[in-house]
Amino acid sequence: MVAALRLIVFGFIGLSIVYVLVSLYSRSVRLEKLEEKWAEEHPNGNESDREAWLREGMEAYQKSFRPKLILLVYVVPALLVLLSIILIN
Amino acid sequence: MRRFRIIIRTLIALILFSVLHYTLPQHDVVRVVNTYQERQDLGDWTRIFWSKPDDQASGLINRDVQFVQTVKKKTYLLGFIRSDAEEVMVYRNEDTGWSWPFYFKFDTASLQTEVDDLRSTPESPKWAVVTHYGWRNELISAFPNAVAIRPVAGPDVTIIPWFNIMFFLVLAVAIGFVRALWRQFRERSIDPALQDAGEAWDAVDARADEAKGRFSRWRDSWRSK
Repeated sequence: MVAALRLIVFGFIGLSIVYVLVSLYSRSVRLEKLEEKWAEEHPNGNESDREAWLREGMEAYQKSFRPKLILLVYVVPALLVLLSIILIN
Repeated sequence: MRRFRIIIRTLIALILFSVLHYTLPQHDVVRVVNTYQERQDLGDWTRIFWSKPDDQASGLINRDVQFVQTVKKKTYLLGFIRSDAEEVMVYRNEDTGWSWPFYFKFDTASLQTEVDDLRSTPESPKWAVVTHYGWRNELISAFPNAVAIRPVAGPDVTIIPWFNIMFFLVLAVAIGFVRALWRQFRERSIDPALQDAGEAWDAVDARADEAKGRFSRWRDSWRSK
């Protein structure tokens, strides 16, 4: 059972690193899209309006369902392990 | 420098290929001849070619291992080219448990029973497909580990390596994602920072030029005209 614990602990650490990287990437892509949209819609908008609008957009993103999908990073490997245990034995 | 880089890259590619070739499942068309159990010494470096079951004491230096003796259809080029020639192959049958390589195999005893059930003679052969990983090396007594066996109608059965197909697809997606991640990071974090640094350096440079200008003008004022 020690090996199983070791797998769970190290798997959790590894997947957490993946989770953080994917979250950062997703947030960065979303911010870039918002910046582009603002530049398109308000070619002469002022800086403080822009920042407030971007902050609002990012808060809406954080509350939306999409960032929660990144939790699949933990779920999918666990399901794959379960599937292979069932298939192999 | 160029040659050095080529050597390093070749080495990395070779190691990657070896690890994948050792770890990924492969399929052999075999006819089971016999099974046996033998005491194996685990004290030297060839230990890495034996499994480490969960319930095994860490100081254990030898234990019984189950083996499967077969006659197998020869294949070439990673199994893509098959031939009618036969060779003998001996597999070990060991649990991988929860550790590397991650096959999560716990059914060694059941597999041994299935294998025993498929035993046949050259006169009336029963063919089967063995899924295994690992290498056979007679010099250091390394054996591939049999993971599963299933009976097939004849030796000409079509084998589609679904797992390996999925594995390489997922690997390609993962590499693509890491590339995208790196590009995004560079575009959004490194490049702006470099630009700032570049601008700052330009300012320093300009000031230095100005100071030098003043210094050389002052120095020049001492020179005789």
